[in-house]
Amino acid sequence: MTERATMDLGNRPEITIKLASTSDEMMQCFMLRAAVFMGEQQCPYWEEYDGNDYTASHLILYVDGEPAASIRVRWFANFAKLERAIILKRYRSYGLFLPFVHWAKEFCRKKGYPKAYLHGQRRLWPIFERDGFRKVDDKVFHFSDHEYGAFACDLDVGEDAPSVTTDPMVLNRPEDQLDMPGILEESMERGASNPHAGWTERRAS
Amino acid sequence: MTSKTTTIGGQAVTVKLAMKMEDSLQAFAVRAACFIGEQDIPYSEEFDGHDFGATHMLACLGEEPVGTVRLRWFKSFAMPERLAVMQRFRGNGIGQLLIERCRQLAESRGATTLYTQALPQDVGYWEKYGWRRLDAEDKGKGPKRLVAMVRPVDPSKPLPHADSPEQVTLRSEPQVDASGLPVGGDRR
Repeated sequence: MTERATMDLGNRPEITIKLASTSDEMMQCFMLRAAVFMGEQQCPYWEEYDGNDYTASHLILYVDGEPAASIRVRWFANFAKLERAIILKRYRSYGLFLPFVHWAKEFCRKKGYPKAYLHGQRRLWPIFERDGFRKVDDKVFHFSDHEYGAFACDLDVGEDAPSVTTDPMVLNRPEDQLDMPGILEESMERGASNPHAGWTERRAS
Repeated sequence: MTSKTTTIGGQAVTVKLAMKMEDSLQAFAVRAACFIGEQDIPYSEEFDGHDFGATHMLACLGEEPVGTVRLRWFKSFAMPERLAVMQRFRGNGIGQLLIERCRQLAESRGATTLYTQALPQDVGYWEKYGWRRLDAEDKGKGPKRLVAMVRPVDPSKPLPHADSPEQVTLRSEPQVDASGLPVGGDRR
């Protein structure tokens, strides 16, 4: 399921993952990144907020309702790029990273992307390899003070992957809930009164 | 603008009011870095609902945001709070540059009193810059032992004594009433 994943395991904390879909949720993603990259890793502001935030999808993870982790996803032609993955310090012992990355991969797969791609910091390579990612080549590169390698993971896109022949109203749904009716499907009850048709006819004639 | 200036590595630190979404985001990012990242404050405590009723100052070194403070407005005083300077730029007087900008803005709006709540370990810092405990006997309130501190907006016009009837009366914490609205300094 790529819709909101909520795990409530007895007295364990409740974990919720979703696509950031309001300005407050976006702000939470940005602030978690500031806490980790600027606060802990001394990354300059303009390297962290690199101009790509408004072409991306942002995923947010909550622990008992408190913003705890975030991943940014950018969309290329045949692959989705996972980046800016962080967990707040106080939640790092909760084992959140792999379930969160798994959720992100599912999100990409359900959107029809056959490949997830990321730049992994060298210290994290074994973790990504355990999660099905493979290095795309032997190159090691560096930016913002860290060494990276490029990794990719094949995603098993099914026959129901979105395409131009998919039900149009499915494509209109919130992107993390493609398998559930969305708000525009509710609007269909109002029918089609085509309120601006007259204006366009006047302009055309 | 401010008469006090600070330079780091030959580059001037500028202080401005946050006027655009991007300015506010930079101010919030500095706070997130210092309070959530460094001090482990939860997000919901740091971004407490008062950010959109306040004025934000932003200090930049060139293009890089390095410090911020939030100024909240009450009827009888202005309240600087959430003062934050990025760790590697501390010790350059950026905090006082931000507070001075708050003082000037408060003065231009006719406020006479600045009020803040300081952690016990920071009281000496504020005292160095002309602040005093609102109540000299105050040992700090709430779980963080916050100390209420004041200073006159115009240094040549000292504030009345704490026992004078003109003195502001404040609740220490929380700063909101039952409906969630900020508590004004005129409440008794």
